[in-house]
Amino acid sequence: MTADLTQLFEQYYGSLVRMLYRRTGDRDRAEDLAQETFARAVAAPPNNPRPWLFAVALNLVREDGRRNLRQGRRLELLRADAPPAPGPEEDFDRNEASAAVRAALATLNERDREALLLKAEGFNYQEIAATLGLSKGAVGTTLARARRRLVEAYRTEGRGKHVAS
Amino acid sequence: MSHLDEGTLHALLDGELDLAEVREVQKHLGSCVACGSRLQEVKQVLAEADRLVGAMEVPAAGPVRRQAEPPRSPPPFRPTREPEVWDEPPVLLVPDPIDANSRRKRWMRGLRWAAAILIVVTGTKLAGNVLRPSHPVLSERDLTSATPAVPPTVVSPEETRRPESTLATRNKAARPVARSPVQRAEARAAQVVEEPAADTGEPSVGQRLADSVPAAALDSVPEGAQQLAADTYATDSVSQPVGLAAEAARDTTTTEAARDANAEQPSEADLLATRRAAAAALEELDRQRRRERANAATAALPPATRPDVAAPADAAPRPLTLEQRAQIYLRIGLDEAVKHLGGPVHVIEGMTPELIGLTRAQLIPGSSSNRPVVRVVYLDTRGRLILLDQQRMVGDQAPSSPAGSLRWSIGDVMLYLRGEPSPEVLRSLQARVR
Repeated sequence: MTADLTQLFEQYYGSLVRMLYRRTGDRDRAEDLAQETFARAVAAPPNNPRPWLFAVALNLVREDGRRNLRQGRRLELLRADAPPAPGPEEDFDRNEASAAVRAALATLNERDREALLLKAEGFNYQEIAATLGLSKGAVGTTLARARRRLVEAYRTEGRGKHVAS
Repeated sequence: MSHLDEGTLHALLDGELDLAEVREVQKHLGSCVACGSRLQEVKQVLAEADRLVGAMEVPAAGPVRRQAEPPRSPPPFRPTREPEVWDEPPVLLVPDPIDANSRRKRWMRGLRWAAAILIVVTGTKLAGNVLRPSHPVLSERDLTSATPAVPPTVVSPEETRRPESTLATRNKAARPVARSPVQRAEARAAQVVEEPAADTGEPSVGQRLADSVPAAALDSVPEGAQQLAADTYATDSVSQPVGLAAEAARDTTTTEAARDANAEQPSEADLLATRRAAAAALEELDRQRRRERANAATAALPPATRPDVAAPADAAPRPLTLEQRAQIYLRIGLDEAVKHLGGPVHVIEGMTPELIGLTRAQLIPGSSSNRPVVRVVYLDTRGRLILLDQQRMVGDQAPSSPAGSLRWSIGDVMLYLRGEPSPEVLRSLQARVR
């Protein structure tokens, strides 16, 4: 079981942090949540690890966001909605592009956004359905809506000139 | 068939439809232009959405950084960020057997460190005992003989002729000594320290072991060696007779023991030579220091005793000062020279004296040691030294000045003209002495 967990960590940690970073826009927070996810996996080893890990991680993000909202900090929304504010440690151009996409992503509803992020991590429809508690048939529709809204929001942000025509 | 919904088109492009569904969709697309054009549009949206999501890369180094694009050069207005703690690969805090394994390794590492520290502390203590001045080994020697790396005389050459068992016991203690200088030094220190303890040592396993060897030989064996031999065969002596252990110790060859002992202990001649060499080196060092002190004092003297005449500019770079060259122990002024001579100072006409000083009378043949000798120093155009010595004579002290001699008298003052130029040049100068 331990060897399996180590393997899981090596296999999914990077993907999990990336998805969480895209979701939260905060690298430190993404890493914290990823570690918390694996800590929970130690306590209750999952049968189907990949959907389980990502579902737990997304749940943690939601809980974290609600807690922040309750505390009035609203860090997540500020980060998601704010115009690109380059951090001192980040590459300016990449941060700018990334923040614009994140702003467009923030306009999506929770489920669409999570489906999109899971698909970007290589999840198939079955895994996305398992992770988000959807039927497999609804995943295509969810993804179609999420993609279209993301692109439209991005174009609305004035970045449409970058979209390939 | 109705038009294909957008979700189906995305599922088609994502490869999520099974074969039957794919065939059905392809069949419709082949007949429906609207759905065909929508498929093209969905392709673009899908590609764009994937591109946008993929553009959100984790900014900092880490496991996810491996898939990031090559790092660009940092912006010019922002300093390069120093690596932080969070840049290190994340650590999963999982209690599992891997941790137990590493804990075992940490334990072993800790034990190794503890053993190393124990060895160092013990070695330092033993070395401290050896270097203590009251130690009998060193107290009978002077520091000169202790300075070179002369091992204490633990095994005398006579010991190599002692019975085998003694040598074997001794050899067990001395065997690891020859491995390396550090081990040798430690073993040597252990031997030296154990020596005084031999007198008050209690009966031990080592002594019981040594009971099987002649008592005369045992007396000269350090107890440390006995103890070491006892330790070596301690497990055997529990289950086997003591004689067996002694026999096992006897198995080591005598020649090996003698060779080790000889290699370890230098001969008396070597010790003597080493002491002499050390003493000679110390004497040489003393002489060198005295020379350095004398040179320093001499070099400091002229500026301190300089009265009023400035040193010539060209004398500075010379290794010897002009006073040293002219052998003047005290520079004086003209007035003082007049007092010493009881009359005017004689000079060479047309030449400017470099300096006037006093020199020792013994340097002047035939001069009186009771009166100071005034030396007027000149340098000719080629830098050669010319000395005009003058001494006031007492009473009947008659100058013996043969014709052509550079030693003559004017009044009651004896003059002596010497120098580096040839006698002919000096004689020509003699004619100009006033």
